[in-house]
Amino acid sequence: MDFLVQGFLRAIELLFAGDAETFSAISATLVVAAYSLAATLAMGLPLGFCLGYFEFRFKKQVRVVVDTALSLPTVFIGLVVYAFFTNRGPLGEWGLLFTLPGIAVGLTILALPIVVALSATAVESMDRLLRVALISLGANRRQVFLSTLWEARLSILAAALTAFGRVMTEVGIAMMVGGNIKWQTRTITTAIALETNKGEFAMGIALGLVLLLIAFTVNVSVSTLRKRY
Amino acid sequence: MGVPLYSIRDLVHVYRGQPVLRFDRIEIPTGSIVGVIGPNGSGKSTFLKLAGFVEKPTAGEIVYNGRPAAPFAPEVRHKVSLMPQEPFLMKRTVLNNVAYGLKIRKDLDRLETRIQTALSWVGLDAKEFVKRPSYALSGGEAQRVALAARLILKPEVLLLDEPTASIDALSAQLIKDAALKARSEWGTTLIIASHDWQWLYGVCDRVVHLVRGRLMGTGRENIIFGPWEPGANGLWGKVLSDGQRILVQKPPEVLSAAVIDHAAIVPAERPLPKANNHVSLTGLITRLALEKASGDIIGSVLVANLPFTATLTESEVHEHGLYPGRRVHLLYDITSVRWF
Repeated sequence: MDFLVQGFLRAIELLFAGDAETFSAISATLVVAAYSLAATLAMGLPLGFCLGYFEFRFKKQVRVVVDTALSLPTVFIGLVVYAFFTNRGPLGEWGLLFTLPGIAVGLTILALPIVVALSATAVESMDRLLRVALISLGANRRQVFLSTLWEARLSILAAALTAFGRVMTEVGIAMMVGGNIKWQTRTITTAIALETNKGEFAMGIALGLVLLLIAFTVNVSVSTLRKRY
Repeated sequence: MGVPLYSIRDLVHVYRGQPVLRFDRIEIPTGSIVGVIGPNGSGKSTFLKLAGFVEKPTAGEIVYNGRPAAPFAPEVRHKVSLMPQEPFLMKRTVLNNVAYGLKIRKDLDRLETRIQTALSWVGLDAKEFVKRPSYALSGGEAQRVALAARLILKPEVLLLDEPTASIDALSAQLIKDAALKARSEWGTTLIIASHDWQWLYGVCDRVVHLVRGRLMGTGRENIIFGPWEPGANGLWGKVLSDGQRILVQKPPEVLSAAVIDHAAIVPAERPLPKANNHVSLTGLITRLALEKASGDIIGSVLVANLPFTATLTESEVHEHGLYPGRRVHLLYDITSVRWF
């Protein structure tokens, strides 16, 4: 157990001393999380709204595809994204392999089904009378969309939070697409995996603590928002 | 006569493959009060949703103010407002619910005063209610807030779907008063679906009766649903819970609905002598209502568990003492029965 205690104490030291390598991984993680969440919410919320709100042919089948995508293995996503972004791949000329935006693309593919499925469920579970009420009060289509999302805000917030958690803790895509390049594409999770393999528990624990701290902060913020609205 | 506010032609609405509404033609003049009555599932709410431009009919045309209109059309979006049977309020404060329609119109002039006025119309004190979240309202209060959210918009047409069902008597009266005030102050056309036919006959310029999605005249028709059983002398019948028998000629189908016009029913204080083709039923007068448009007295008579409607004259009521609580005998001619 001593090595764990030692690792923990060293982790605190690294964090408070502002260790550059540690903070480089934290920064890379926050950047890819921000990119991928922004893209996921921008695409996922309208898609989820449409899937939950409208009745259309093959809706059930689309729903099955989205639900299946919820359990896509991250290494498979990493493999596909790698294949597209590699020099020989169809999008090789974009130069996204081993870059933070490249990782963000993979993470967006991972998180998109989560936001689509959960926001569709949130919209579906809204009272059907909401639409009647909004149209009766003079809302146009855009206002119906925005007001419905606002009414489902707590469930949608939960969807975003789930996606955030998935993105922050992902390791397979970050490793395969990012390449775990020190100072460049090394994220918290890939750094933890690497340092643990090297027997360097201190940095791994330090980064693990940061992950926990971020998760705690986000959850407290969301909880406060829920109480407020 | 000017252009009617609504002109509805060849309207058909289908829900999950089943036709739920079928109108040949109906016109509603500007500023009128139209009542819609009918049993549950007769299509009242569907009609109000279509006339409120919340849903689009499967076929047919709804012409509003001389122009065909559809949901979200600019010529109706800010003019027609429907209040559904269940008062849906958004997860916001009363203030934000009432102000919603004005905010999306970006019409924020004197917002606070207008909210206070709208709430006062439905008997709610703005100071007490504006900051209250919607989940903290009683059923009657929620219904009144929902109406205030529509009244603040001063709509040209206000459609009310069972506005007084399942709420307390005070809230019901306040809602009725507020709706009529909108009509008298702004000339708002009111279309009201309700089981409270006594109120509808009292305030409406016209009452329409919906049965199985079709218009059935004035609402004073007596509709008796099958199944019918064959009986003696080639007549068919339906036995009521107290053993009385409604007799009719052979129906087109066992489940057809028989329609006996109110004018074909003759009330009497004493049992009526049997006559050819005439059937006598005995029931209890439960309600009398004065029809605003015609001045007729509409009597509701409960025969076993079946409500009948008969039109009475003032002299009949007085001479025979036909008041609620009295037993009365009703005579109808079998040949006057129509089928639906």
